Amino acid sequence: MSDWSMEELQGWDKKICTLGETLGLDWYPIEYEICDYKEMMGHMAYTGLPTHYRHWSYGKSFDRIQTEYNLGMSGLPYEMIINSNPSISYLMTENPMPTHILTMAHCVGHSDFFKNNRMFSETGADTVIDRFKAAGRRVKKYMEDPLIGVDRVERILDACHAVRFQVPRSPGVKRRNHKGLKKYYEDLMRNDTTRRWESFDLNRLPLEPDSNLLAFIAEHNRFLEEWERDLIRIVEKESLYFIPQACTKIMNEGWACMIHEKIVNALGIPDDYFLSFIRLHNQVVRPHLGRINPYHLGFKIFKYIEKNQGFEECLRVRETHNDETFLKTYLNEELCKDLNLFTYSFHQKEGFNRITEVSGEDTWQTIRDDLIKTVGLNSLPVVLVKKLEKDGTLILEHEHDGRDLELSEANKVFEHINDLWQGEVRFTTVIEDETWEF
Amino acid sequence: MLPTRMVIATRWKSPNSRTHNLPQKTTYNKMSIFREHKTIADRAASDRSRHRQKIEKAIKESIRDVVAEESIIGQSGKKKIKIPVKGIKEHRFTYGTNEKNTQVGSAQGKEVRQGQRIGHRRRVTPKEGQGDKPGDKPGEEMYEIEMSLEELAGYLFSDLELPELEKKNFKFTTQEKMKRKGKRPYGIRPRLSKKETIKQKLRRKKAAIKAGSYDPESGERFTFHESDLRYKHIAPVQKENTAAVVFFVMDVSGSMTKSKKFLARSFFFLLYQFLNHKYSSIDVVFISHTADANEVNEEQFFTQVPNGGTLVSTGLVKVEEIIEKRYHPNNWNIYTFYCGDGDNWSIDNKEALASFRRLKQINQTMCYTEIGRLQDYREYSLFASGTGEKRLWDWTKLAEDKNFKRIRLEEHKDIWPAFTKLFGGRT
Repeated sequence: MSDWSMEELQGWDKKICTLGETLGLDWYPIEYEICDYKEMMGHMAYTGLPTHYRHWSYGKSFDRIQTEYNLGMSGLPYEMIINSNPSISYLMTENPMPTHILTMAHCVGHSDFFKNNRMFSETGADTVIDRFKAAGRRVKKYMEDPLIGVDRVERILDACHAVRFQVPRSPGVKRRNHKGLKKYYEDLMRNDTTRRWESFDLNRLPLEPDSNLLAFIAEHNRFLEEWERDLIRIVEKESLYFIPQACTKIMNEGWACMIHEKIVNALGIPDDYFLSFIRLHNQVVRPHLGRINPYHLGFKIFKYIEKNQGFEECLRVRETHNDETFLKTYLNEELCKDLNLFTYSFHQKEGFNRITEVSGEDTWQTIRDDLIKTVGLNSLPVVLVKKLEKDGTLILEHEHDGRDLELSEANKVFEHINDLWQGEVRFTTVIEDETWEF
Repeated sequence: MLPTRMVIATRWKSPNSRTHNLPQKTTYNKMSIFREHKTIADRAASDRSRHRQKIEKAIKESIRDVVAEESIIGQSGKKKIKIPVKGIKEHRFTYGTNEKNTQVGSAQGKEVRQGQRIGHRRRVTPKEGQGDKPGDKPGEEMYEIEMSLEELAGYLFSDLELPELEKKNFKFTTQEKMKRKGKRPYGIRPRLSKKETIKQKLRRKKAAIKAGSYDPESGERFTFHESDLRYKHIAPVQKENTAAVVFFVMDVSGSMTKSKKFLARSFFFLLYQFLNHKYSSIDVVFISHTADANEVNEEQFFTQVPNGGTLVSTGLVKVEEIIEKRYHPNNWNIYTFYCGDGDNWSIDNKEALASFRRLKQINQTMCYTEIGRLQDYREYSLFASGTGEKRLWDWTKLAEDKNFKRIRLEEHKDIWPAFTKLFGGRT
């Protein structure tokens, strides 16, 4: 057993919470679950959600985590917290007290971020656990239904997972279904004074390119059975719940690191604890050579903002920005040079990565913009539903931004989309400046 | 320990209220909840076993890659082979790794310059259609499972219904072997056991001294008696032979293309592994033939440059010759697998059939495998129907019975069904 007691934990928690309040933070109550490393691995595999539905891919990630952990390839995270109200977090029994103190302070930062950042306003933190529970129960029911069975459920879920990130990237914007959209455009045309909408074709489907592939299929595929439609919606809803986290990874981690540093420094912990804390903290926020460590980048930028504009500004930033706007606004030449950011790409002929630009007076903006292109969901291609033909052919298009798709993968995903659509699908992209149709 | 619950006395602000008024520290005093709980069930268990099922399935599907790449026949069973397993990957749209896909890295406190090479060298992604060697593509998830050939064979044959198969199709040759069965008082001279005979004599001598009928001091010889003689007794017993010999006979004439040979090789591999699995020791004889036949080694067998015409019977006659010389049917379980594309010279068909008929009498199982598509064959028979000429495929039908099977392989996926046809079990 560990060298700490529950009372100690509660004692430190009280102090941490008081300090958090002094900083002006406002977070959801946190529920810490004390678990052993095996349970921790289970929580990690299921994206932290205690009530997530079952699918073999989570078994796969569990096995991977376990293997890596057993081989010592990677440790287990100190902190794992869910965007829910109350926020559920896990503490590993095996960890020593200083780790718990850091973790708890870090969690306060995250929970504060979840509660205040505008990206999260529509994630329904109050009900998320129950929603996942209900979804999990339905998936289980379908799997156990003798008329459906695991194989058919997996076929749909596998396909949905392949396109799970083909959802809108601006969180909180409610999707209009075709009916709603039609009404919207009818109103526009009716009140059109600019004659801009005069030639708008109200009969086309979709009325505007749809980036929500899953929702579109659920809405327009007439061949789907109810349970299939339900599964598609379950995956779509889960994606929408996670999108804000993907959009704010750098900020969220940077913020939590900044908060835990502030809190722990003010806690007055014993010297030996403090040494452990410093060691851990540096491990978390250290730069990764050749890559971007979101903890490091976010922490650096927040520190920079605090130094120049004060902590009040930091509080405002954590509320209003996402990674994209955060980097655009605050990553300046000085920071770029300080972090020694550079861009590189893979040269197929040589089989090597080659550095293309290093941070300098003229290049830092390019580097910043390239960084923005790879943060969050920007590292994934956008695929739009362009048209649904009268004969039921679904026309999809990859929004080409200069980066070509990995064809072998795209082929596999295309097969999955076919599984979902159950009809003719046409998908176009651009490969080496030529249009490519699947 | 019971779940520790702490009641939060304070009321919480609704999360949806987005008013952000700076410090409100005086209003309440926060605390968190701690819960110590132990779940008994491993929640991932069912998903993990489901995932493993998928891996196992993938292993079975990948075995053909292994068959294609490894030199397996004649290898020791302990040899470890790596089986790359793919297909359990989850796919999604991603950007390709190339010049256009720029990434950003950091190198705090390090010197970097434009044009510098970083990271390790990676193999270049093959374009679509250019070979499908696994593991080349960056980011492709591969499981590499290492197992010995024995394990592999176990894997392969776990699906067959072995009990039934052993009854029906799997026989051992038996042989009368002479075994010693103690001593007895009669027999032929050469089997006289001197040791036992002397023992008998000594026993009698001791008894005689005791009884006083013989005095050792007298200097008189105590002679052997007829009843002292003991002979070794040898009786015949039935014994199963656990050694087998497998003849792989293949047509290497010009019409056998590389891909056809490759198919044959995969099939042979399976057969070899299966028999190896069943017998304590196994000999493999490779015979390649065109218009005449030669015994070759494995490498030559699969790589020999094709030439000449085809006389199937030559290969079979060679098998008969070798059996005659080295593998007596009473001592060896003989298996002969012939593989060709059925393109025999028509004059030879009758001769070949006769050979097949002779061979199947002494073989445990014999198989005529024809590689090639049925369609080609149909065209051929349409064309040939006028002349009334029959192909070897038709001729061999005459010999077909439980010992002699005809098998057609068109593509890789036919191998497994063909195999099960030969030995029974589920497909």
